[in-house]
Amino acid sequence: MTPVLTAHVRRFAYDDVGPPAVRDVRLALEPGSLVAALGASGSGKSTLAKIVAGWALQGGHARFEGTLELAPGPDGPGGRLEFSGSRDDPRLRLGAWGQRVAYVPQRPGDLLTGAAASVGEELAFSLEQRGVERGAMRERVVRAARAVGLGELLERHPGRLSGGEQRRLALGCALVERPDVVVLDEPSASLDADGAEALAELVDGLRRDGAAVVMFAAAVDALVRRADRCLLLDGGTSAAEGTPDEVLASSAFAASGVASAGREATGPTDGPAAQAPGGQGSRPLAELDRVTFAYALARGHAARPVLDGACLTAGPGEVIALTGPNGAGKSTALRHFAGLARPLSGTVRIGGTDIAGVPAGRVAATVGTLFQDPRDQLFERTALREVSFGLAALGLARDAARARALEALDAVGLARQADVHPYELSSSEQRLVALATVLARRPTVLLLDEPTVGLDGRALGRLDAAVTDAARAGSAVVLSTHDHAWARRRAHRVLALERGRFAEA
Amino acid sequence: MWLAVLAASLGAAAAGRVLGKAVTAALVVVVPFALWALAIHGLFFPEGRTVLAAFGPARVTAEGLAYAGGIVLRTAALVVVMLAFSTWVEVPVLRAALVRRGVPAQLGYVLSTALGLASTVAERLERIREAQEARGLVVRQSLPGRIVAARLQVVPLVLQLVDEAGERAPALEARGQALPGRRTSYVDEPDSRAQRALRWVLAVASLAVVVSVMVPAVAGVLGGGR
Amino acid sequence: MSHQLTVDAPRRSPLRTFLTILGVAAVVATYAFLIVSEPADVVNGPSASSALVALVGFGLAMVLLFAGILPTLPTTTLALIPVALVLNIVLGQFVGSTLVPIYLDSIGTVLVGYLAGPSAGATTGLLSNLVWSFFNPSVLPFAAGAAAIGALAGLSARLGIVRRFYLVPIAGLVTGFVAAAIAAPIAVIVFGGTATGATGAIIALFRAAGEGLVQSVTTGAFTSDLPDKLVTFSVAAALAYALPRRSTQRFEFVRRYRVLAGAKRTGEPADSKAAPAA
Repeated sequence: MTPVLTAHVRRFAYDDVGPPAVRDVRLALEPGSLVAALGASGSGKSTLAKIVAGWALQGGHARFEGTLELAPGPDGPGGRLEFSGSRDDPRLRLGAWGQRVAYVPQRPGDLLTGAAASVGEELAFSLEQRGVERGAMRERVVRAARAVGLGELLERHPGRLSGGEQRRLALGCALVERPDVVVLDEPSASLDADGAEALAELVDGLRRDGAAVVMFAAAVDALVRRADRCLLLDGGTSAAEGTPDEVLASSAFAASGVASAGREATGPTDGPAAQAPGGQGSRPLAELDRVTFAYALARGHAARPVLDGACLTAGPGEVIALTGPNGAGKSTALRHFAGLARPLSGTVRIGGTDIAGVPAGRVAATVGTLFQDPRDQLFERTALREVSFGLAALGLARDAARARALEALDAVGLARQADVHPYELSSSEQRLVALATVLARRPTVLLLDEPTVGLDGRALGRLDAAVTDAARAGSAVVLSTHDHAWARRRAHRVLALERGRFAEA
Repeated sequence: MWLAVLAASLGAAAAGRVLGKAVTAALVVVVPFALWALAIHGLFFPEGRTVLAAFGPARVTAEGLAYAGGIVLRTAALVVVMLAFSTWVEVPVLRAALVRRGVPAQLGYVLSTALGLASTVAERLERIREAQEARGLVVRQSLPGRIVAARLQVVPLVLQLVDEAGERAPALEARGQALPGRRTSYVDEPDSRAQRALRWVLAVASLAVVVSVMVPAVAGVLGGGR
Repeated sequence: MSHQLTVDAPRRSPLRTFLTILGVAAVVATYAFLIVSEPADVVNGPSASSALVALVGFGLAMVLLFAGILPTLPTTTLALIPVALVLNIVLGQFVGSTLVPIYLDSIGTVLVGYLAGPSAGATTGLLSNLVWSFFNPSVLPFAAGAAAIGALAGLSARLGIVRRFYLVPIAGLVTGFVAAAIAAPIAVIVFGGTATGATGAIIALFRAAGEGLVQSVTTGAFTSDLPDKLVTFSVAAALAYALPRRSTQRFEFVRRYRVLAGAKRTGEPADSKAAPAA
């Protein structure tokens, strides 16, 4: 079958200086096919996704040498565009390209306009721009909303959607234009089991309708294994190509740092699970004692309690994983340990002391928290300054603070990126910088909220090591995750939140 | 005359069922303005002749009070008219109305995005503050303490918002924002023949008032300057 | 309707340029009128006709400038403008309530000026006042001043002032001078010389000393606008240097006029300057 889109990237760089982000990659997408492009962070995976989607060519500050070719379709003309990295290159009209090649970025919120007051309006944006009449527009919006499971939420404000719903809204925005090619960057990240299944069905539906789907991922999941073809990226170029089985079996894959559930399980189990946890008799470092908590709703109604008489103790050297579907209250439990949420009734004890009335900023002297969105924590110009920040307040001299910050960066494998702006790092690396800021403070209680999301294989290895080291050093680690397999490998106890209480999973 | 304008706009706000909201919003603006007007012109009006009371340098004069009253009333009329509109209008409908009249779509986009962002920014700042507290931030009440706290919260906010805006630009283009040609809107703008007629009448009347006041004023200045 | 996959290089449209020039001319003409007709004597009460001329003249200028500039802005700039408006509001509220004569309500506008140029800065200033007037309509008449601030911020960036950090406070002072000169007659004619907060206190002080209204308001405007713009320009420059290159280099204006000093090292003075200023 002739491909609907072919891309040949000879060389692509964002800056005039520095090495190219992507070089010598070919991609041919056939109607109805699923192609999976795998690559660890820094492999050029997201850049390639943006080249195919045309986003990387917008604004004219990148240098691109290569070819993009789109076959003519029912909704728009095709064409072959030759780029040579010079001023005379064709200027891609992203509005026309995007109508046929839809892209859902890694952070789905980036696709949303922010101007819409309802899900329906957000879905309709691109149709409004093309002057589609209201009747036809509404029909297409409803169809797209149903396809992504948002049919009931058309009137909801996009800002009031959960993370999973927002991801589906971004997919809906991509589908509403009936594209011939759908480009998905990390579509499975942060999806729970139900979400992953819904995504797989959606992709199948697109393929049945004749669309070519290409997904970019840093971890192998069920969707990758269903792909027709697989491409492995490493160092900005193609390292292996073939069927998923061929690529996953290749030696290049083993060296690539792409995370894979299967490979991890067969690896050495030197995690804390192999060790004996701290003796039951030792004093607990962190404790929730019959804690009840509910978020206040508007008009004074108290919501169903998220925590309802929940008890949890974490001792020295212990790793506890909290699991459960999105919205079960895992993050809320962690926020109590950090002093960021206060119980309606019950007691939170850190190191044996009740922290009621202690400001969260002081609790932080012994409790370190890694948040879901690392960008809430990052504000310095370099990773090193970021990690050093606040160490002086712990009583460290300048040199000692610097040494400790470098040590923490080294522990997460970012010693070489010490002078890079945190926002120039990949999302996987951003999470590691945030982890380093926490580790540098040497907390006795370490809280990790969904730490594995968006991490590639190498970063996952660093995270595992950090958890193990913290536990060995006598800290208590409490983490939340929706990744059951990882939780079982790394934690001494896996607890599920059910009706506001913790139960052994 | 200003009282009539006030009454008319309050009536319109009541008809639009936003009287309470509009009045609250207007009081927030008008009350401080009135107090300062009284403080400035009521107490210190060197041109005033009719002194009603005097304490030290402050002289309450009839002229000063009259002046302050006139200014406050006029400002109140301006404020209430505009707030009656802005509390009543639904931004999506306003955007649709602007698009239909051929106003550049960018204006509606900026208005609705800014108002949308403004409503979520408090939540973001809250999240950032929590994240910084988890790194040991304790907000002190002293001025330097507050400046440090502000930096720790504002810089992450600016980084996030500017980074997101940068990513949003290609998203908008890919979704057709920069395409030439006609726009349509998803949101319907309710309208009727009577409303259309009323709008025309009001527009013509306003134009007449503006011209009748401005032409003599401008002519007077030009004439006087010669 | 379908579009070709490529576009031609953007060209300057003579109509848009003409509209922009007309808008600037309307600002200048209105301002000149206000200066000439400024009342020497205030006893007869506020002059309604001058206020109307001010509102109509600046309103017309706003429409012309929007029509001339908005459609020509690149999408990168357009996406940044709402962010700037929100920053204006958030930072403005942070200090707004105190009795320090500093507002910091134009940091976002100045940031857009630095990153996207004078016309984008001017548009942001206008839009900022327009959006703010949804909550507080009494700021709307000052839109011309806000536009001037954005335009001057863009101009200083283009002249390489942001690249040499020590010049930024001076550019801030010059802008503060212009902003005060524009704001003072509007404050007198539209609001009868009433201002709230610290500026109002200064006006009252001078009035107590027996000064004329115009004099007092002008003094009040200068004492608040000069330090305010100095701090605003410095903080905005510090923020511009705190941004990653990935964000700043998206702007063609930044690339073409080399607005920001290239090496990472130059970020350092940004901090040392901003701390005493704040």
